[in-house]
Amino acid sequence: MADPDEKTPDLAALGARVSAARAATEARGETFYQGASRTVLAGFPPIERWDDWVELDSRAWPKRVEHHSMLVPTTCFNCESACGLLAYVDRETLTVRKFEGNPEHPGSRGRNCAKGPSTLNQVTDPDRILYPLRRAGRRGEGKWERASWDEALDAIGSRLRAAIVEGRQNEIMIHIGRPGEDGFTERVLASWGVDGHNSHTNVCSSGGRTGFQFWTGIDRPSPDYANAKVIFLISAHLETGHYFNPHAQRITEARASGAKVIVVDTRLSNTATHADYWLSPRPGSEAAINLAIARHIIGSGRANWDFIRDWWNWQEYLRDCRPEGPQTFEAFQAALGEIYDGYTFEYAAAESGLDATVIAEIAEVVAGAGTAFSCHSWRSAAAGNLGGWQVSRTLFFLAAILGAVATPGGTFPNWYNKYVPKPIYTPPHPQVWQELSWPLEYPLAQNELSFLLPHFLKDGRGRLDTYFTRVYNPVWTNPDGLSWMEVLTDEDKVGCYVALTPTWNESAYYADWILPMGHASERHDTHSYEQYDGQWVGFRQPVLRAARERLGEDITDTRQVNPGAVWEENEFYIELSWRIDPDGSLGIRSFYESRARPGEKLSVDEYYGWMFENSVPGLPERAAGEGLTPLQYMRRYGAFEITRGRGAIYSEDIPGDELADVAVTDIGRVYSATPKPDSPNLAPQGAPEPDDQGRRAVGVMVDGSVRRGFPTPSGRLEFYSSTLAGWGWPEHALPGYIKSHVHPDNMAADQMVLLSTFRLPTQIHTRSANSKWLDELSHTNPVWIHPSDAGRLGVARTGDLVRVETEIGYFVAKAWITEGIRPGVVACSHHMGRWKLVGHDAVGSGGMMATVALDRDREGWTLHPRQRVKPYPSSDPDTQRIWWSDTGVHQNLTFPVHPDPISGMHCWHQAVRVRPAGPGDAHGDVWVDTAKAHEVYDRWLAMTRPAGTFSPDGNRRPTWLMRPLKPAARTFKLDAAAPAGGS
Amino acid sequence: MARAAVTGPAADTVGPARSATGRARMAAGDRWELLRALGALILDDPTVTPALSRALGLPEWSRADHTGIFVLDLPPYASIHLGPEGKLGGEGGDRVAGFWRTLDLDPPSDADHLCSLLALYAELGTAAQECVTAAAAARLDHARAVLLWEHLWSWVPGYLAAVAQDPAGKAWAELTGQALRAEAEATPEPPELPAALRHAPEPLDPGCDLAELLDGFTAPVRAGFVLTYRDLLRAGAEIGVGVRRGERRFALRSMMEQDPVATLRWSAGHARRWARIHGDQPDHGAGTGRWWAQRAAATASCLDEMRAGR
Ligand code: SF4
Repeated sequence: MADPDEKTPDLAALGARVSAARAATEARGETFYQGASRTVLAGFPPIERWDDWVELDSRAWPKRVEHHSMLVPTTCFNCESACGLLAYVDRETLTVRKFEGNPEHPGSRGRNCAKGPSTLNQVTDPDRILYPLRRAGRRGEGKWERASWDEALDAIGSRLRAAIVEGRQNEIMIHIGRPGEDGFTERVLASWGVDGHNSHTNVCSSGGRTGFQFWTGIDRPSPDYANAKVIFLISAHLETGHYFNPHAQRITEARASGAKVIVVDTRLSNTATHADYWLSPRPGSEAAINLAIARHIIGSGRANWDFIRDWWNWQEYLRDCRPEGPQTFEAFQAALGEIYDGYTFEYAAAESGLDATVIAEIAEVVAGAGTAFSCHSWRSAAAGNLGGWQVSRTLFFLAAILGAVATPGGTFPNWYNKYVPKPIYTPPHPQVWQELSWPLEYPLAQNELSFLLPHFLKDGRGRLDTYFTRVYNPVWTNPDGLSWMEVLTDEDKVGCYVALTPTWNESAYYADWILPMGHASERHDTHSYEQYDGQWVGFRQPVLRAARERLGEDITDTRQVNPGAVWEENEFYIELSWRIDPDGSLGIRSFYESRARPGEKLSVDEYYGWMFENSVPGLPERAAGEGLTPLQYMRRYGAFEITRGRGAIYSEDIPGDELADVAVTDIGRVYSATPKPDSPNLAPQGAPEPDDQGRRAVGVMVDGSVRRGFPTPSGRLEFYSSTLAGWGWPEHALPGYIKSHVHPDNMAADQMVLLSTFRLPTQIHTRSANSKWLDELSHTNPVWIHPSDAGRLGVARTGDLVRVETEIGYFVAKAWITEGIRPGVVACSHHMGRWKLVGHDAVGSGGMMATVALDRDREGWTLHPRQRVKPYPSSDPDTQRIWWSDTGVHQNLTFPVHPDPISGMHCWHQAVRVRPAGPGDAHGDVWVDTAKAHEVYDRWLAMTRPAGTFSPDGNRRPTWLMRPLKPAARTFKLDAAAPAGGS
Repeated sequence: MARAAVTGPAADTVGPARSATGRARMAAGDRWELLRALGALILDDPTVTPALSRALGLPEWSRADHTGIFVLDLPPYASIHLGPEGKLGGEGGDRVAGFWRTLDLDPPSDADHLCSLLALYAELGTAAQECVTAAAAARLDHARAVLLWEHLWSWVPGYLAAVAQDPAGKAWAELTGQALRAEAEATPEPPELPAALRHAPEPLDPGCDLAELLDGFTAPVRAGFVLTYRDLLRAGAEIGVGVRRGERRFALRSMMEQDPVATLRWSAGHARRWARIHGDQPDHGAGTGRWWAQRAAATASCLDEMRAGR
């Protein structure tokens, strides 16, 4: 040990020197702790060694065999989180050996869920689609012929051109599953003058989004989990790694820092198992619980009245709803207490079936969170119930009462934490309105009424000339999939169906063209998602292209490096747009021409080079610091953090130069005659209308100064929604509780609620079915039944078959008897029950698809498994090792559509009858009556309040509400002429 | 592959080396960074750590010096110093792994390597600084204190004393000792000796056979001293016996066979030297240094007795 006479070193100075050396090293983009991981407990190959990373081949031991890899970043494509991946590209064979996390990605920070590394399976899947295929027999017959890309592009391009030239823009539709680059497909459609964007969001998250949008004008929350004191989740899969692994890791950090986690989920989810409090309520009662908590916060004096006074639109509420009373804040405080006085713990307990003391305890925990309250509700209850959008609305209500909005540990609007860089071209708004996606019955729908498309087509509301699906499987994913099949096989309704997909799926069987698109490591995109209080941009790239470019090759087309003829969408749409408008006379080609080389096609290098140079603040400087161009930087690092700690943007003062000819309304909304400053960030948010003088809504008046506020009509957090009040729903203008379609009042005594919305952390819709590692982990979906129900129903053992009857049919599945579900409720997970049709020999079934017979008679459709999955020979020896045969049941076929009349969300929960299966029933059997399904659609449609009757301003839809692709302002008018096609 | 086996929820509290989070919190963490860097130096190939050595003001090691000290002569593992057999893993390793698990961390493969322990110590310190609630910070501070007394202070001072005897290791050992003493002074004293010492095997018995004696010599917690191959070379030169190439047990057996009395005498002197070394340690850790000094002194007496009996 130390010599006592020796001079004692100054430890503080040494520590500071080490910190400074580390900071300086990392600022240069280098790695300070280069060695193995123990120094930081989670180490990664230092970026200096990414060009030649050496690992020893463990299988060659005891011989020392080195693997040399190039490490190339890209972005996972398996869920929306857009985590960073690092591809290990073998320097000798130029193939990808494996994928791991990208430590340079500020959102995922080097971590992935199981689905990230499984990208390797998707890339090497022996059954993937490698070449364009053209239908050879009848639609759905399963006969295909290989075609060239030129043939496909010419055939499809000429159809699209004809539709556009003939004014049939509304006969073109692109239906998106996994979103790629934010706004990319919307811009392609806008450049064609087509309002044909259709998304899966109304079977996914639009209920949750609606509640947030009515409060903040922005449809997603961004909880600052890592710094929260209390985390309140009315959802499960979001935080268990199915979605938002980046969120899960921050929730874990918060737990380590002492945060309390509350999970409200009828089913014991992975998230619930990690919670401090798990509440298993009766499905649909969640909003009542939230309101009881709200009442407690208000009643116990923990409401943040200063925040409420400044940032809620209470003046507007008093003016519109209590005009006779005093227009004072004190009057509002009293009113707030009155409005929610009925939501006692006892009331919430009666509705939810929970114990009132438990709700009281939770309420106290929430009330103690102060401004460090993070909350989220995404699918789950908001996607399950009629009025489910009030679940997220009442949840955000809690944050708004506590003032936990854009605070450390609080809940931000996602716009604060998202960055969508402006691209090289921004085409104008289309001059048409697509009624098939945005029908008059649903003026307030958060997203396209995508899942009603078959019914609209059957009702003769329009037809589609060319219908694209992009990494989407509508027959399988949507409710009532057999109605989809009926319209997809009817060429009068859908003239040409083009499936852009990397893999076979239940919808692609009915396509006219199948065009193989690349996986995560085979395509370009940018991404940005809310994961903490900061903004980042991630880059997806074809990794073999980047690797070969590092070796000095010049790659001009991603097909040069992808397997077979697999392409990417950017180059595909550039090429397709040129084929639609070869001479530029339609004005389309100009959006796909090089600026550097006029008259030539835009390349992806120029597209992203421009974007990173001009639209990502700080990136050019950072790249220059390392002697790189911005594009080179992104190809090397895969992600860039733009800002951190955005804070409460709503409270920022509006700069003086944005204020001219200012008008202030009686509720403090401020309008200015200055034009909106150009922003390189196109992240979506609401667009409040100008005043009647044409001045734009610029902010709100708070304490005598003009502040940014929120992108809502009032500019404040909208406790009271004048939009809902004005468009025919005054009874829902405030955060409230709507009794679900599966409320006990609405069900027969022998019915149970079926939860079908939950997913497993190791699968992702139908997209991951060609990942052998994931298939081995999760391949079936038994029906969860509580032991008390099993006893009552006569289901003796786990594994016994049960028949689950919905309003339009039934399915047969295995029972799983578990206390992880509430009595009176059954649950069956998503993902499973994949199928291919008998005779479709071109389709490899992999480890997830049973071969089925699909038959129709006068009664309805029958789907019956003929052959379970089994081992089979292929180029991958692992297909001989498939040890399971049970791949579950396709339950979604038996669900009728349940469109919420306000949000447009499909309300997934089903009222069902469960009984032991009969002697003729086989596992996986499905029976459906699609005529009955159409009747149910009619019944729910009758619940709407259409714009034609209820619009207060002659518009089809409030113009301020978000819409993924907004057509031109004039098309909003109810009396605007519609082109041919979709009415 | 430079990837830790650290997974599981609590691993997520620490963040990768170069994450933006890591960058943001450095300014407040100089104290932790110093310990992290001192650990990193002994883990990594010295050709990739010149920046570290420079920042710490330490001379750069050659690869041979580094391998000689930290791989061959004095592998820095708690299990070697606290385990009853003086070997990697076993009970000593399990005890450390158990500590990681208590924190909800999957122990990495080298959980008891000094670098891992210092890194964990630094991460606990950093995490406590970032806690939102005082209770959570107190929990992490408590965990860090337990780590210090149970798994660092319980063996590292002696280990550093052994490293300091090698001229190439001296500067690093002294600086690390200095930093560790500063931590000990800043941390509340534990109520009792660390578990590894409380439950240590019995000291050597004068009636033991040669095999047991050799086992004891190579298990620091048994003998109270560290015995390196270099020590044996020095002993051979001092007492005039040949030291055969091989592992220490084998070399010692050969020395005992050549001249048992001289070997026992040298060994007793070695034990007394270590009793002084331990006795000179600052008095922290509920008498940890005293325990070691007594153990070494007991070994010296035992060896004297054995020699007298010959
Ligand atoms: S959470 Fe998993 S699937 Fe989603 S992007 Fe991250 S690694 Fe991919």
